[in-house]
Amino acid sequence: MTLYVGVALVVAAVLLFIMQPVVKGLHASLDREENELTETEARKRVALLALRDVEYDFLAGKLDQDDYRSLKSQLTAEALAALEADEAARGAGPAATDSDAAIEAEIARVRAGLKNGVVCIGCSFTNEPGSRFCSACGHALEGATAGGARR
Amino acid sequence: MTLLGEFALWISLPVALWGMVLGYTGGRTQRGDLVLSAERSVYAVFGLLILASAGIMTAFLTDRFDYYYIANYSNRELELFYKITGLWAGQRGSLLFWALLLAFFSSLAVFLNRSKNREFMPYVAGVLQTILAFFIIVLLFADVNPFERLGFTPANGQGLNPQLQNYWMTIHPPTLYLGFTAFTVPFAFAVAALLSGRLDARWIQLTRRWILTSWLFLSVGIVMGMRWAYEELGWGGYWFWDPVENASLLPWLTATAFLHSIQIQENRGMLKVWNMSLVLLTFLLTVFATFLTRSGLIESVHSFAQELRIAYIFLGFMGSVLAASIILILYRLPQLRSENQIESFVSRESAFLFNNLLFVGAAFTVMWGTMFPLISEGVTGQQISVGPPFFERVNFPIGLALLALAGIGPVIAWRRATKKNLQRNFMTPVIVGLVAAATIWIMGAHHPLALVTWGIGAFVLTVIVTEFWKATRARARIENEGYATALFHLVSRNRRRWGGYIVHVGIVLIFMAFAGAAYNVDERFHMVPGDVAEVTSPMGGTYQLTYEGLSVSLANGQRNLMWQAIATISVVKDGEPQGILTTEKRRYTTQEAGAPPMTEVGIRSYVGEDLYLILSALDDIEGAVAAESDAQGFDLQVLIKPLVSWIWIGCLMLTAGTLIALWPSVDRKRLAEAEPVAEPATAGAAD
Repeated sequence: MTLYVGVALVVAAVLLFIMQPVVKGLHASLDREENELTETEARKRVALLALRDVEYDFLAGKLDQDDYRSLKSQLTAEALAALEADEAARGAGPAATDSDAAIEAEIARVRAGLKNGVVCIGCSFTNEPGSRFCSACGHALEGATAGGARR
Repeated sequence: MTLLGEFALWISLPVALWGMVLGYTGGRTQRGDLVLSAERSVYAVFGLLILASAGIMTAFLTDRFDYYYIANYSNRELELFYKITGLWAGQRGSLLFWALLLAFFSSLAVFLNRSKNREFMPYVAGVLQTILAFFIIVLLFADVNPFERLGFTPANGQGLNPQLQNYWMTIHPPTLYLGFTAFTVPFAFAVAALLSGRLDARWIQLTRRWILTSWLFLSVGIVMGMRWAYEELGWGGYWFWDPVENASLLPWLTATAFLHSIQIQENRGMLKVWNMSLVLLTFLLTVFATFLTRSGLIESVHSFAQELRIAYIFLGFMGSVLAASIILILYRLPQLRSENQIESFVSRESAFLFNNLLFVGAAFTVMWGTMFPLISEGVTGQQISVGPPFFERVNFPIGLALLALAGIGPVIAWRRATKKNLQRNFMTPVIVGLVAAATIWIMGAHHPLALVTWGIGAFVLTVIVTEFWKATRARARIENEGYATALFHLVSRNRRRWGGYIVHVGIVLIFMAFAGAAYNVDERFHMVPGDVAEVTSPMGGTYQLTYEGLSVSLANGQRNLMWQAIATISVVKDGEPQGILTTEKRRYTTQEAGAPPMTEVGIRSYVGEDLYLILSALDDIEGAVAAESDAQGFDLQVLIKPLVSWIWIGCLMLTAGTLIALWPSVDRKRLAEAEPVAEPATAGAAD
């Protein structure tokens, strides 16, 4: 007897649990959430990570200057393209929220950095705007204030 | 309780089928209510399978020998601990346990993604429920129902195979099963990506962690199995190329290949079809592993089942999954095109590619060797097994090449490595490797394979240590930090990279330990009390083993033991006393009458080597058991096994490295976007 009661309870609980959404019309979300990476964001991320890797490799002495310079310019171009693609995708999307605006600012900063950072003539390392000496090779930098203060 | 569990198992089938249908339909029609119902059904199946497992455990604890499964794997005298773990002691229970773990991971996946990755989830739920439904169908209809009743109630059960009464044996299968079942989640995401057509890099990012988790469980599970074999099987080895060991190795090989090849897809947008195929293949291999272990198709020390119906069900399922996967990939082929091409033969991409080819090649040869008995039976009518020499001849070179790649991959440049790049990065490690090999040769170890392994190992370790050193130094200089702080920040900023290196160190240690087997010592002595055996270690030093005597205890059925004959040996190494070591013969009440008694070995582990004592044979078993004083003679086998401890140490490193890589990083988006430019000078060093 207790067995049947137990089985009936289990069956009832399971039925109630799984049928409720259909009967009551409860819906699970099927759309991408706002804070998730979009495809263009993912691409941008990959491009920036690749850039980061090259700088790491150079700083750690794994790349010589020629290789570093050619790779870096190639990757910078790719990263910029990815950033612009992402920006375009964003522009086509829904109106910007606060967090979107923050991301926009971030991206603007990133782009400014990529475009206006102080590039060392000795090793082509992109330094912080305002730097007077190259962080990678110690070479004196000209036009040290080109990018202006960003922070 | 047991009956309720049985009902719960039956109820779980329609629930799983319901979830399966609703998941796919909900995804197709984009109806949120159907999807929510499908997701809830995943939880429901998990709950029902918990009830079913609790039912089996209750049956074990209450000695319900009217159940076939309990009667075969337990008896009244079995220790409580082994009754609790009886759920996965035999085929039937372990299939239920398997389904339970699968339902656990499925629920976890649904729960963790309740508010993200929603566009994948309908199909994910559908796929997970399909796999669950399959396992439940196997349980219910393939003659392996753990709730099957005998027509009568035996007075006592058969008891548990004594070799399975070992703590490693209680923890090794669940760990492996965790690895196998966890891999279903990435598979479900891959299929969901194919079904929904969202084939950008995202599915890889969101399954990477699952794959790492599964990989960690698989790795640790495999090593635990080695440890069990080493301690319990009593022949001094840890790997036998047994079908079941191979079965667990297969998905490990392809999963490892995948963990490497996703880096090419993430960085260079290549190999998309290949990655997708590797996930599908790995999942198939986990099912294949279950199938091989639990169907008894190929004779193995682990197999205890002879039912053939289960074999057909499994083969049918694997065939359908394979066919469906191929169709899906072909259907989505246009979207899986590569974004880049490999520019140079000498580059990190091609190193990764070689790595993948080798891993898959190794998987293929292991598969071939494992299936060979079956194939030969089909062709010639006789089962011919290929044995360890085949596997070793084929896999040693592959393993060494992979080991070398672990040193080459991290430092070779992406895209194209120039001659200067190669010189700059490989000169020192190569020299260190050669010097190491030469030093070992001068010290008197001339075994070619071992020398090559140690040389390559030294090369890889040098590369990794250099990587750590250069990056730490760069960071310390730029950030003005102490070296320890710099190292800590370095690792915590890019856990994946540095965690991966630590895993590599673990693997190198394990390989170097394997090579130690070339210097195994194996000597036999006949001993009577007072005899001293002297064995010289290849690592230096001499052991003096004095036989102190045999003690016999009659357990009279307690813990299923009939008697134990324990030989006590005192160990002295180079004049230093090292305490005593025992090795024994045991007879269990559950053993068949003619079967030889079981052996328990004595192991003393040192950093450099293990001393491994085996009581091979008693001169006079009856006399010994009757405690006759002149019947204490026995044959002692003494093994010295260099470097074995380093397998376990390597496994710990591997675990630590994987955990570091798994640890959630600080807001990943922020890192990716802000870091390279906001702190350009440190970005490189940080990662």
